[in-house]
Amino acid sequence: MTAVIGANGAGKSTLLAAVAGTTRLARGSIERAGSLAYLPQRSSVDTNYPISVAELVMLGAWREFGAFRAPRRAIWSRLAAAADVVGLTGRLERRIDELSVGELQRALFARLILQDAATILLDEPLAAVDEQTAQVLLQQMMRWHQDGRTVIAVLHDLDMVRRWFPAAVVLARRCIAWGPTESALATEAA
Amino acid sequence: MRSVHLLLIAPFESLGFMQTALVACLALAILNGAVGTLLLVRRMTLDGNVLAHAVMPGAAIGFLYAGPSAMWLSLGGLASGLAVAAMAGLIAGAPAWRDAALLAFYLVALSLGVMLVAWRGSNVDVVRVLFGTVLAIDRPMLLQVAVVASVVLIIIAALYRPLAVGAIDPGFLRTVGVRTPYNTIFVMLVVLALVASFQAFGTLLAIGPMLLPAAASRAWKLGVAGSMALATVFGLAASMGGLLLSYHANLPSGPAIVLAGCVLFGLSLLASGTLRRVAPLAQGGA
Repeated sequence: MTAVIGANGAGKSTLLAAVAGTTRLARGSIERAGSLAYLPQRSSVDTNYPISVAELVMLGAWREFGAFRAPRRAIWSRLAAAADVVGLTGRLERRIDELSVGELQRALFARLILQDAATILLDEPLAAVDEQTAQVLLQQMMRWHQDGRTVIAVLHDLDMVRRWFPAAVVLARRCIAWGPTESALATEAA
Repeated sequence: MRSVHLLLIAPFESLGFMQTALVACLALAILNGAVGTLLLVRRMTLDGNVLAHAVMPGAAIGFLYAGPSAMWLSLGGLASGLAVAAMAGLIAGAPAWRDAALLAFYLVALSLGVMLVAWRGSNVDVVRVLFGTVLAIDRPMLLQVAVVASVVLIIIAALYRPLAVGAIDPGFLRTVGVRTPYNTIFVMLVVLALVASFQAFGTLLAIGPMLLPAAASRAWKLGVAGSMALATVFGLAASMGGLLLSYHANLPSGPAIVLAGCVLFGLSLLASGTLRRVAPLAQGGA
């Protein structure tokens, strides 16, 4: 579980997008092991589209049903469990335009849970959410970490990084420090 | 009762060209209900308008080559529509210039088309290409519209899920490793639908029967399938209203149908807004 920190324009989002494969590399290559899930900054979800929270979350299991097949029954129970974890039980039938910013972010986390990826990339996942939601989302990141998955998250709140993240990368157009959080942050301060 | 019959039914009963026009409008309403709704939810209405005009230069070349033959007009229109769609795809990487570039495509296509048609044809031909000739649709043309409508609808039904996801969260499919260019496929379907509409409504108006009924139906905030169905009903109602208006008042039929669509859109906005104010709890229930 690694935090990516740095000033605006330091290349944090670019790093994540490059790892996710959604941006073209100027040079070099990236080796990816296992499946990957990516939540971009300011997710591009169009909340005016008339679908329910359940349908949005269900997309996480896309690889299992694809464009044509119906989701298996087992996926529905995973969906219910994921909704429970992020505290959206009872709101699954709502339209996504009825959700608050925090609730939408919770739904997108539930979608990530269904993606069941080995590596999870989160670009400022806690921006614009309230304290309570932030706690729920941080606990989920912790759970992924304990499952042995790789979690890489761009964050701004250094106290939060110290408290929750064992490792950190400090960027300023290039990698300034990478290692245990305390020493990485100390390098940055120096 | 008899006067109602005379007003609403008789024109379609006795006149072959009114019947053919109505059937063509029905096929187009079903096609446009689906394509127009998807254009709206994907926020691609400007693209749709540009593609409608993009059909023009190719149709004009078809006209120069074979005269007013439905097949050559359509093939030419299809070719230039797809060419402009490809160019629009190339500028997708430069979002800052997107609107201006699309507008330039649309103006170039329109001017070039008018010049090509006027070069060999008469003003009547220019007006026909710009505004269409719903009442001059013949059997082969009707068949062509019906075939295109069926094919496009079947593809949309088959690809509905990825098309919808592309609208909801454009980047998502890439992050789960989907490489099929669904957006390109959708743009090609729009071009096909516009080519089908072009004979009836011309390049200037073809986007009207595609977007207005869909916009009118979106005002009711139904789900996507419900929206498509209601848009088809609205499209058919606008077509009937427009055809009758053009018959009784001796007005051009294409513009009459588009105006009827505008009226429906306005009424829909007004009625759905009023309903939401009067019964706020009922909203979003569908």
